[in-house]
Amino acid sequence: MNEILKSIKRTPYQSLASFMILFFTLFLSLFFFSLTSFSYGFLSYVETKPEVTVYFDTKTKEADILKIRDTMTKSGKVSDINYTSQEDALKIYRELNKDNPLLLEMVSADILPSSLGIYAKKPVYLSEIAEYLKKQPGVDEVEFQKNIVDKLITVTSIMRHITMFIFLFLILISFIVLMTTTAFKIALKKDEIELLQLLGASNGYIRQPFLLEGLTFGFVSATVAFVLFYGIFFYLQPFLNSYLNGISTLPFYNFGDLGLYVWPPSMSYILISFLATSLFGMAIGLFGNLIATSKYIKS
Amino acid sequence: MIKFDSVSKAYPHGNFHLKDISFQIDTNEFVFFVGPSGAGKTTILKMILKAIIPTSGSIFVNDLEITDKKFNNIDKLRQQIGVVFQDFKIINDKNIFENVALSLKITQTAKKIIQDEVNKVLDMVGLEEKKFMFPIQLSAGELQRAAIARAIIGGRDIILADEPTGNLDPKTAWEIMRIFKKLDHEEKTIIIATHNVDIVNSFKKRVIALKEGIIKKDLRSAGYEL
Repeated sequence: MNEILKSIKRTPYQSLASFMILFFTLFLSLFFFSLTSFSYGFLSYVETKPEVTVYFDTKTKEADILKIRDTMTKSGKVSDINYTSQEDALKIYRELNKDNPLLLEMVSADILPSSLGIYAKKPVYLSEIAEYLKKQPGVDEVEFQKNIVDKLITVTSIMRHITMFIFLFLILISFIVLMTTTAFKIALKKDEIELLQLLGASNGYIRQPFLLEGLTFGFVSATVAFVLFYGIFFYLQPFLNSYLNGISTLPFYNFGDLGLYVWPPSMSYILISFLATSLFGMAIGLFGNLIATSKYIKS
Repeated sequence: MIKFDSVSKAYPHGNFHLKDISFQIDTNEFVFFVGPSGAGKTTILKMILKAIIPTSGSIFVNDLEITDKKFNNIDKLRQQIGVVFQDFKIINDKNIFENVALSLKITQTAKKIIQDEVNKVLDMVGLEEKKFMFPIQLSAGELQRAAIARAIIGGRDIILADEPTGNLDPKTAWEIMRIFKKLDHEEKTIIIATHNVDIVNSFKKRVIALKEGIIKKDLRSAGYEL
């Protein structure tokens, strides 16, 4: 540790450059990692929703709605259909807003719409079902989930590609900056390295402080990036809550069973984010300095 | 034992730095290499350290042929050799204790042993009381004494000194040479490359005189003459 502190004192600007580039790389990586995980979780959430949801006017009679349900069931194009009455809608509303008594006070069952959630046997039937439902009396709105899913898939896919591109670009820049700053530090210690070689120090011994410095810089930058990212996240969480009110939890890919949730972020997910960020930071620091020392310290 | 067998070092345009040099230095022998600048003294010392590879010929250090293509244990070879330089090569941001300890730290020696060994050699060169001082606080003679301490610590049995008194005034130079004289009784092979006529003459040790890359004289108990 003393050697690392000495090195920072000896080359403060180069050390700051290494730290900053690692910090930005890790902060942005953490941001895009969280965004991609979130979009995947959100997509999974949307996919669990009915493919077509039809909302009825509050004045529509239950008998008329059940008639439509029976017609749809008999059509042979529907694999499952769920009826949500006004009372059921009120229960769902109460569950979603249980922490906000003000919102609960102002709502009763008669202002909430009844709805049918419909799953088609084949995706090609979805448009047909939606068109049929739009023409039925008492129908207020038809939500065609496939469009949303398709859009989300497209957005998620684009996001993944952009994330990968930014990720690779940041890694490349980090390597270049780390190699340049380490090369400068090696040049400053040229006489000392030459002396150590003449005394019989192995290449590993000479490279060790540079590699340890890379690991330390990676870990410290990752910790700072992590603290700042989650600091901003928790500051903005009430604001995000208002947008994601209807969503109880979003799993981290398929690891929801293990208690890993992107939204709201579970402690285990936060811990994994920290481990991944710090390991990634240490790997960049280590490999950047490994390449630099291999290139610039000749035996 | 150090043995040079028909060793030559040629440079690209046909200039020779060493031409067909052969000699043998026995274990615990004290030898001076003398000669004008460019005679090849430093080249020989660097070849013993395998810092320069000869163009032809063979070099043996403690029965190991270090010029063999299969020989790649340079670290272990250099760990047997202590080196003293004209410009001391003391690291400025380490104190004297840390500078001397370097020779042992590179071999992963235990801290306690390092402490004992460093104290012992610093006592021997008369720097025990200045061990926590930094190079900037010491005189040239003291720095060279620290360099000698670094060279002899850890049982290094071959000591190479390249112009060890070159940067010192005559009085300090004699102080340094007295340390080498003390080392002569400690079962170490000592090889010194120097210009200093008075020192060579007073020691009455083996002298190998070089001129233009050729051994001109190799005399035991001799003085400085070319």
